[in-house]
Amino acid sequence: MNWQEFKRQYLIQFWNPLPAVIAAGVLSTYYFGLTGTFWAVTGEFTRWGGHLLQLLGAHPESWGYFQIIGLEGTPLDRIDGVMIIGMFAGCIAAALWANNIKLRRPQSRIRIYQAVAGGIIAGFGARLAMGCNLAAFFTGIPQFSLHAWFFAAATAVGSLAGAKFTLLPLFRTPVKLQKVSTARPLEQDPMRARNRFRLGMVVFLLAVAWGIAELFAAPKMGFAILCGIGFGLLIERAQICFTSAFRDLWITGRTHMAKAIVFGIAVSAIGIFSYVQLGVAPKIMWAGPNAIVGGLMFGFGIVLAGGCETGWMYRAVEGQVHYWWVGAGNVIGATLLAWCWDDIAPALATDYDKINLLEVFGPIGGLMVTYILLGIALAAILLWERHFFRRKNATATVKGLAYDR
Amino acid sequence: MTDEPVVVPDYRLDMLGEPCPYPAVATLEAMPRLQPGEVLEVISDCPQSINNIPIDARNHGYTVLTIQQEGPTIRYLIRR
Repeated sequence: MNWQEFKRQYLIQFWNPLPAVIAAGVLSTYYFGLTGTFWAVTGEFTRWGGHLLQLLGAHPESWGYFQIIGLEGTPLDRIDGVMIIGMFAGCIAAALWANNIKLRRPQSRIRIYQAVAGGIIAGFGARLAMGCNLAAFFTGIPQFSLHAWFFAAATAVGSLAGAKFTLLPLFRTPVKLQKVSTARPLEQDPMRARNRFRLGMVVFLLAVAWGIAELFAAPKMGFAILCGIGFGLLIERAQICFTSAFRDLWITGRTHMAKAIVFGIAVSAIGIFSYVQLGVAPKIMWAGPNAIVGGLMFGFGIVLAGGCETGWMYRAVEGQVHYWWVGAGNVIGATLLAWCWDDIAPALATDYDKINLLEVFGPIGGLMVTYILLGIALAAILLWERHFFRRKNATATVKGLAYDR
Repeated sequence: MTDEPVVVPDYRLDMLGEPCPYPAVATLEAMPRLQPGEVLEVISDCPQSINNIPIDARNHGYTVLTIQQEGPTIRYLIRR
């Protein structure tokens, strides 16, 4: 394979999401071993909101929520903070390589409202549950924290409500089916594509150089940056979308992304287990109503917004203006939750136990329970797919008969 | 990638600027309006559509003829 072929196949064309999600599962496992924390983004978004309030003269550092998640220093002093900068660098590099950055303006004002409202609901729900699609799901389940299972199940239910809601006529912009006699010419300026690719390489190499330099100064920070770049490349190149994994089960019967995520979690869980057995402390959160209420809100919010907390990151740098609003909504929603946390936490979260499946069922028992639950999730997805298409074909036949008459 | 498509579409859906899931939903809604054998051209600049439109079209019984990615724009040609 020569350079041009390599470039086209791996740096320009999109990657298949199944191996990419499994790779994200493996990388997130190493990330836990290397940094001692799990791959997560919304906690840091909440801290951004806290810093903004500090700039405005408020003192959010005294709020209970920031006592829990910390608000010291700047993003550059925190593992989550530099990891997210690495992620953005990876997303930008990947989008530049493929000349996939373009200012995409929403076609209708309703999209802005739905982006902001969905983003706020999802941001609030995610932090209420102490995580998002990552910490309370993709990287939360492999920590053997029961709250992540509550959150995942509630997110599925919330996304069903979200799917029904976002297909209401209110949100449908008129689309015209045009009669045509020729394909529309597609062209991109080759000069611009080449320049963008080079710029992408500059961003990528600078970020990697920063990560390597940091490795020598503070190894955990360096690994966080380098893993962040990897996560960013994976989510943009493969367009990994947790929202579509849930939403499209209900809308179009597509199970591709949902199955990929189950496999990604399954690959990660055994690796996290090995680290925990070697003495690394797992991240366990309260398994209270907060995880369920948060999951319901999150599931509804991500579908309304069209993307979750990792989804808006790569779409925002691709120039999808819609997702700038989703990101802003996420930060606002997460900050709102931090603000009212002290009033609602005892009733919803802190009066409940943090349940570690490896303690409840013993190490091997907890591992087995996790894999059995993952097997049930996979079976449920496959059964749902079969049911969806049987029902669809049945209604299509009935409609066809009516038409014939 | 830069090859011009040999297939000539009969209809076009211009979904530029629309985020997911709307391009995939509009595609699935448009397909039954075609006569069997006719071809729909979907133009989308939602990168996520690469994981939606082709799989949904196949799952719902249509044939995906070509997928062309030119920078931020993707063209799908789908036959009923």
